[in-house]
Amino acid sequence: MAIKAADALSSAKAQANPYKAEGQWTIVFRRFRKHRLAMISSFLIVFFLLMALMVPLIAPFERDAINADMRYSPLMTPDTVDGRIHILGTDHLGRDFFTRLLYGARVSLTIALLVSSGSALIGMTIGSVAGFYRGIVDTILMRVLEFMATVPDFPILLVLAAVLNSDPKLLPIPPFVASLVSNLMLINSKEARSVIVVVFVLTLFGWTGMARLMRGMVLSIREQDFISAVRSLGANDLRLILRHVIPNSLPPIIVAFTLSLAGALVSETALSFLGLGVTDPTPTWGNMLDFTARNILVAPWATLIPGIPVVLCSLAFNFIGDGLRDALDPRLKK
Amino acid sequence: MAAFLARRIIQMAFVALLVAFATFFLLYLAPGGPIQQLKAEQNTTRRLNTDAVQLVMKRYDLDIDILPRFTRWLIGQPRGPLTIGGQEYFGATKIGCLEEGQVEMQYPDGHVELSNCKTPVYLNDLKGRAASNGILALDFGLSQQILRDRPVSDLISSRIGNTLLLMGISTFLAIFIGVPIGILSAVKQYSRFDYFMTTLSFFTSGMPTLFLGLMGVIFFSLTLQNAGLPYLPPNQAEAARDTVVPLFGNIVAGSLGDRIWHLVMPVTVLTLVNLAGWSRFVRSSMLEVLRQDYVRTARSKGLNERMVILKHALRNSLIPFVTLLANVLPTLFAGAIITETIFSWPGMGKLFIGALQASDYPVAMAFVMISTFLTLIGFLLTDVLYTMVDPRIRLS
Repeated sequence: MAIKAADALSSAKAQANPYKAEGQWTIVFRRFRKHRLAMISSFLIVFFLLMALMVPLIAPFERDAINADMRYSPLMTPDTVDGRIHILGTDHLGRDFFTRLLYGARVSLTIALLVSSGSALIGMTIGSVAGFYRGIVDTILMRVLEFMATVPDFPILLVLAAVLNSDPKLLPIPPFVASLVSNLMLINSKEARSVIVVVFVLTLFGWTGMARLMRGMVLSIREQDFISAVRSLGANDLRLILRHVIPNSLPPIIVAFTLSLAGALVSETALSFLGLGVTDPTPTWGNMLDFTARNILVAPWATLIPGIPVVLCSLAFNFIGDGLRDALDPRLKK
Repeated sequence: MAAFLARRIIQMAFVALLVAFATFFLLYLAPGGPIQQLKAEQNTTRRLNTDAVQLVMKRYDLDIDILPRFTRWLIGQPRGPLTIGGQEYFGATKIGCLEEGQVEMQYPDGHVELSNCKTPVYLNDLKGRAASNGILALDFGLSQQILRDRPVSDLISSRIGNTLLLMGISTFLAIFIGVPIGILSAVKQYSRFDYFMTTLSFFTSGMPTLFLGLMGVIFFSLTLQNAGLPYLPPNQAEAARDTVVPLFGNIVAGSLGDRIWHLVMPVTVLTLVNLAGWSRFVRSSMLEVLRQDYVRTARSKGLNERMVILKHALRNSLIPFVTLLANVLPTLFAGAIITETIFSWPGMGKLFIGALQASDYPVAMAFVMISTFLTLIGFLLTDVLYTMVDPRIRLS
């Protein structure tokens, strides 16, 4: 709807003033719409996000309500107590799958968003400072990047996650962060801990790619003529970076951000699946996969319930990234 | 070249040391391990006395501070006071604490203040205590949980064969299938084949391994087995007892057929996942080469397309191939952690996850260190090989 409205608006504008040039983002959006899979994926992601936002309104059951008489009941079974329908059946403890899937979407998607935005923010800041000023920051950044590139990051990430999860004293979490996260993800503040650990660990290993990309972009942009022009107009460094360097380096960053959403989602799933991520009463798609996979002999098809959303979202983020790449810079198209 | 090598090796040693210390420090801070398990096991009939706890602590160096513990793990030192010419020095240096002091203050937030250490450990106490020779001498110490008191190297040697088998076959297949696909896609760019393969590789690379593996188990093991059709085993590397499979007949446990039967699914999943990467890599590198002037020269001098592709383009497009070596080497050892977990494949990745879950830190450390070492070697090899296959590049 919004798209059609925007489209109508832009075409109306074009008719009103045929000489007015199309805005940059209008062009990008026009190109993006041509990528059919990316458009479908965007709708899918918006759908998932809306579901995750409206969890308390949609969820038919209590998140952790256990019904011991109904373990692994099939799809669309009425509850034995009050006859409400378990749309997707129940899990190994008789908890409603549909409800947990919704709450899991809230947690998993928020984790992916937090990790990606955190990595992007840190990476962009460090990358642009390093690329713009060179000097000591750049040297240190390059050393860190080299170091991160030459160590096996997945095993070390797993060790870190395992250690931080095992002892609450190791990563003291300020209460306001815990309450923020628990409100964001509709979980209680005790459960927020393992979620924050996952976000922390994934961000810690995630920002380097962004920083490398940003640094490269800034290095090439700072040498261009318009930067000297703006500088000669008297712009200070902060204005230069924020108003000119960063906006001009955004296209590849946006693409990388979208792709990193898929990466973060899959990483969270993998961590929780390995038992080193978010732990049970808090539902995430990852630990739901873990439990359904453990009981795969009892109820094989239950694995699909958390599995399909993960695959759909991962593919969708990839397609959106692909579409954005084509739309933002046709020259990048391979 | 020699100077480059020397500098790189020093850098590598530094990186390895940093990783070793960082990981060791993390695991030092972590709770769990043998003491926690002993405490968890005690009940009304099995009480745990202080002596037993202290015995275990001494056994695993848990009473020593991080720095001496780290050096003992790394190089097997110190093993007692420093002895120079029969004279012992620093024997009374305190290096740890066997028994914590009394609780002096307990704050409401759980923070506890202890008085000084009740039983300190001195350098002298290390005399005669068993110690590993240090991982630099390839002695990884003793396992604390998974196979208690057995050397970590036993565990590794019992698992590494499975991982090498799995990773070796799937890497070989991925290259063997992926490279021709990549070449064909590049030569026939924008053809139907190219679109099909690009889309397919997009799907398989966006698809989490986890899901692919679980789907495999559901379809090829459970569904087929329930339907009375020939099926594939969902887990393990070999069967515990002979199995009768429809059409295949009796499969003897531990036989070659049994092993192959168990390999099919994990190998297929891993190959599918890695295939996309290889074919995409070859495709883009081949496209790059096909644009070069010398390819046009080759065509213009009248060579047939087959010769141009196979002799001039292909050989040059495989140069960047060497860079992938840096990734292959460590994964051959470390295995695919997630794939091994899904299929309960008794390999290194599964061992590592098991070690982390059971807080068997010497095993986890050994895994991290060997992977780090192999990764570093992979990078060095890549650089050296690069100069060999591409003489334009000089190391300096």
